[in-house]
Amino acid sequence: MRAVSTVRVTFSALGKRFGARSVLKGVSGELRPGYAVVITGHNGSGKSTLLNLLAGVVRPSSGTIDYRAGGTPLPRHLWHTVVGMAGADMAVYEELSALENLHFFARLRGLRRSLGELEKLLCELGLEARDLRRPVGTYSSGMKQRVKLAQAVVHEPPVLLLDEPSSNLDERGHETAADLVRKFRPHAALAVATNDPREMAWGDERIHLGN
Amino acid sequence: MTEKPTWSVWHWLLGAWMLAVVYGAFFYAPRAQGFVGESARIVFFHVPQAWVAVLAFCVNLWASLRYLVRRDPLDDARAAAAARLGLVFCVLATVTGSMFAKVMWGEFWNWDPRQISIVILLLVYAAYFALREAVADEERRGGLAAAYAALAFVTMPFLVFVVPRIYFSLHPDTLINVRGKIDMDSRMLQVLLAALVGFTGVFTWLYTLEVRVARVLLARRRREEST
Amino acid sequence: MFAKEVRSELRARVAVNAIGLFGLTTLVAVAYQIGPYQIHEQDRPHLLAALLWIILFFAALSGLQRVFVKEEDAHTAKTLRLAARPLAVWGGKLLFNVALLAALQTFLVPLYCILMGMRVQGTLPLVALLAVGCLAMAATATMVAAIIARAAGSGTLFAILAVPLMLPLLVMLIQGTRMAMTSPAWSDILPALQGVGALAGVTMVTSIYLFPVVWND
Repeated sequence: MRAVSTVRVTFSALGKRFGARSVLKGVSGELRPGYAVVITGHNGSGKSTLLNLLAGVVRPSSGTIDYRAGGTPLPRHLWHTVVGMAGADMAVYEELSALENLHFFARLRGLRRSLGELEKLLCELGLEARDLRRPVGTYSSGMKQRVKLAQAVVHEPPVLLLDEPSSNLDERGHETAADLVRKFRPHAALAVATNDPREMAWGDERIHLGN
Repeated sequence: MTEKPTWSVWHWLLGAWMLAVVYGAFFYAPRAQGFVGESARIVFFHVPQAWVAVLAFCVNLWASLRYLVRRDPLDDARAAAAARLGLVFCVLATVTGSMFAKVMWGEFWNWDPRQISIVILLLVYAAYFALREAVADEERRGGLAAAYAALAFVTMPFLVFVVPRIYFSLHPDTLINVRGKIDMDSRMLQVLLAALVGFTGVFTWLYTLEVRVARVLLARRRREEST
Repeated sequence: MFAKEVRSELRARVAVNAIGLFGLTTLVAVAYQIGPYQIHEQDRPHLLAALLWIILFFAALSGLQRVFVKEEDAHTAKTLRLAARPLAVWGGKLLFNVALLAALQTFLVPLYCILMGMRVQGTLPLVALLAVGCLAMAATATMVAAIIARAAGSGTLFAILAVPLMLPLLVMLIQGTRMAMTSPAWSDILPALQGVGALAGVTMVTSIYLFPVVWND
């Protein structure tokens, strides 16, 4: 199932400016399989920006990011095939149901998953089977968060980037996110941006942003 | 930063050349037949300005495509500089054109196909800057502006070549007319060609100045960032 | 991608409503104020052709720009960006815009002909022109929509960026429509048809290269 199981992401001296404002400056590090990096820092310190840069959805102002899949470099336009990402600014379609959303994103990634498989994934993430067929717009924020997490892992990505994964989630939701991390940790390269002390404990290494 | 001596030589030569063009336009070139009064003399300024507006558009495209390939911020600065100058010359060409239109055809604005063409070029330039203004992220701004420039460039030929041919135009024949030969008094032609060279020189000079300024600013920012 | 667009739109119906209502309102206003008999017989082809495309153009502007802006507004753009190949997104959005415009035309053009007393000699050539025009307009609008979705103040910016690109297209379409009204011969409408077709082709080819840049930047 997992086509590319080992992806290594090295980044060095990353910087990002928006106009005159410098959000990120000289950040270096590495994501590697079976290893979790926790990114901390106060609001506006560039946690999300760093994840965006790593996922390839924003271009760095300076510095380099290097993807290697099994030793061979991966060009930028293919990064998204090995990355799964969830965050507050990554919504799913409100007018579609959870199952339709997941089916759509799986199809876009070229996956042929049966509805049964997708349903199973959503239930694993703590959604009730009876809710899966009504529009996401009618969900509570905790339920939406679970759909977002499902979208991030539907293709079993070797690189998983999570931006505040258990925001909007209750205690049980936090456990769901923790389960997800536990499931992916052994083989995926993981980066989690968070200020939650429980989530900080997931990391083997911590990158602190800001002064 | 000290200026290289060759630079100042070129820029004095350019000044002398432009002086000669101005003298030539008013004293050396004869009065053109078939035009009201001395109005035809404006051709020595109008045509080169329109040419530079188009040239700047091409330079902008070149720099834009280079930016898309190499992602060098200097290329983005080049594209912006070319567009800025293009906008200025486009405005000049529009103004001189409508002055001529007033004298020749009685109105500043006749909705002549060529007037429409240059106004659309003007709108494209304006839109280009409106787009740049609206994007704060510099890396994204460069890419979007370059994409728009390329998109505008591919639709321009339809304007210049398709629209005026379907329409009837008041505009005097272009320099090289449909019969494929140059239909102009030889002394007028000399001045016009000299003016074309001169205005191209002015554009090159202003453009290189802008690029040098951009280069200095970028270098300074890089220095600040590395400390 | 296209299927999802259609399904989303059928549930939310924002673009369809915007385009349809805008088109209908302007059509009714124009038909009521000008009507079929206010215009002299010899001016008809000119004025009716121009009015038709102005109505279609502005109705289209109000709806076509939403394709990418709505993704940014709903914060689904990034999710989509990470999941899909850019060309799949572009193709889906383009198809959706073409379908939207085609729907607008099939409902608005016959209505316009009836209300304004527009008689067309070359019906088939006009249908061909409408089809090609629909493609060219949708192709340009899709690309501009993709650009403005990534910038601030999208609403006004769309008009500013789209108008200079679409003016040549509009002129060619109006001329072609005039020809189709006065003559049933294909040869009369052919220059306009070729021009619009070439524009559609050129825009789409360029988009294939530019869209990934715009989408990912």
